[in-house]
Amino acid sequence: MDLFPVALSARVSLTATALAMLTGIPLAWALARRAFPGRRVLDALVLSPLVLPPTVLGYYLLVVIGSRGPVGRLLDALGVSLAFTWRAAVIAAWLGSIPLLIKAAQAGFEGVDVRLEQAARTLGRTEWSVFWSVTLPLAWRSIMAGVVLAFCRAFGDFGITLMVAGSIPGRTQTLPLAIYDHVQANEMPQANVLSLVAVIMVVLLLIGVGRLARLRY
Amino acid sequence: MWAMTRRLAIVSVLLAWLSVPAAAAQVTEVAVFGAADLALAFKEIVPKFERVLGVKVTLVLGSTGMLAKQIEHGAPADVFFAADQTFIDDLAAKGVVIPETRALYAQGRLVLATARSAGAKLIDLRQLSEPRIRHVAIANPAHAPYGRAAEQALRAVGVWDELRPKLVYGENIRHTLQFVESGAAEAGLIALSLANVATIDYVLIDRALHAPLNQSVAVVRRSARPELGLAFIQFVNGGEGRAIMKRYGFLLPGEF
Repeated sequence: MDLFPVALSARVSLTATALAMLTGIPLAWALARRAFPGRRVLDALVLSPLVLPPTVLGYYLLVVIGSRGPVGRLLDALGVSLAFTWRAAVIAAWLGSIPLLIKAAQAGFEGVDVRLEQAARTLGRTEWSVFWSVTLPLAWRSIMAGVVLAFCRAFGDFGITLMVAGSIPGRTQTLPLAIYDHVQANEMPQANVLSLVAVIMVVLLLIGVGRLARLRY
Repeated sequence: MWAMTRRLAIVSVLLAWLSVPAAAAQVTEVAVFGAADLALAFKEIVPKFERVLGVKVTLVLGSTGMLAKQIEHGAPADVFFAADQTFIDDLAAKGVVIPETRALYAQGRLVLATARSAGAKLIDLRQLSEPRIRHVAIANPAHAPYGRAAEQALRAVGVWDELRPKLVYGENIRHTLQFVESGAAEAGLIALSLANVATIDYVLIDRALHAPLNQSVAVVRRSARPELGLAFIQFVNGGEGRAIMKRYGFLLPGEF
């Protein structure tokens, strides 16, 4: 039995979660703490990946990063291909999961008492230092809740990944796609084993992600 | 104890990330994208071709419409076997496949399948109206050729409108078969090439009821090894390939 999808899914979902933290936390902070033109629009826009059907989202993404799209053509010229590689699966999982992280982190940042930040400023801390030593630690629990949700969504993504990464065995076929493929081929024993593996792996990885995320604070 | 679990968990996450095996690059690979109705026939053809040419074939099956879209946007296919020639002609017009490599390779047949768990075998499309048939599976007519043919056939015998509430759409014809095979749908219109499974009975549907499912193939222009794609086409259309395709109920070029 081919266990490639298991390893691929682990890698894709972890990379996507890391990427979602890197991009989502700053964005959530900006949405919670900064006033800028278009903030309300952006606030609504970050939720759109949750609202749009995944296959539609996948198609949009394909049009952008596929070989005919603006980004795809640019990357092609640089000799990098994105669509239909494991990196495309990461982007798919990242896109699907980031709203969950942003919304949770945003609520976390909004819940931090502004007076505590101001107190830190009166003690001579820079904005950068206030963020790292006051705001982030106080918002951390909410952010982590968002991270775990994002990881779950990233691991389970089906529609976006199918469209933009394809379901290429041994290359881009993640665990959800492999299970679907086995069900279609009426190979129920394989589908059952993979489903069981998925449950065990998610539990293990969730424990791991949770622990890793608590390292700093 | 807890500290150890924690360390184990962290290590398992890192291991999980690192454990993706690198793609084996030593063997030449050919990516064959094919319509889902080829699933069983190609399961036999692919190993034979691999043995003869000493290459590795990566087979990607799906609905013709979706695969065509993906290939148009750069999916790494070397050769594309569509379930309907219009998709190949369309890709040729867009410059996505090499027009000179286009070839007919089969004509698909549609069957009326009944799940054994649903009782006596249906022999006529009009029987789909019977109350014991609660769900009728067809492939999505919007993008799957067999779905389109199914819609045409149901319209031709005048039961389409009446059946609409019962219809369930499979994403491709293999998915549609699975609905009937599992008994979730009591009946369905599926490909003859996939119909020979233990849990269903089937009868052929008159070819005159729908536009012919002429299936054609072409080599993709972006392919780095077009000669291998061409070799695969020739293999399918050669003696060994034709014998296998015939066994799965396809009509072959020259026979229709």
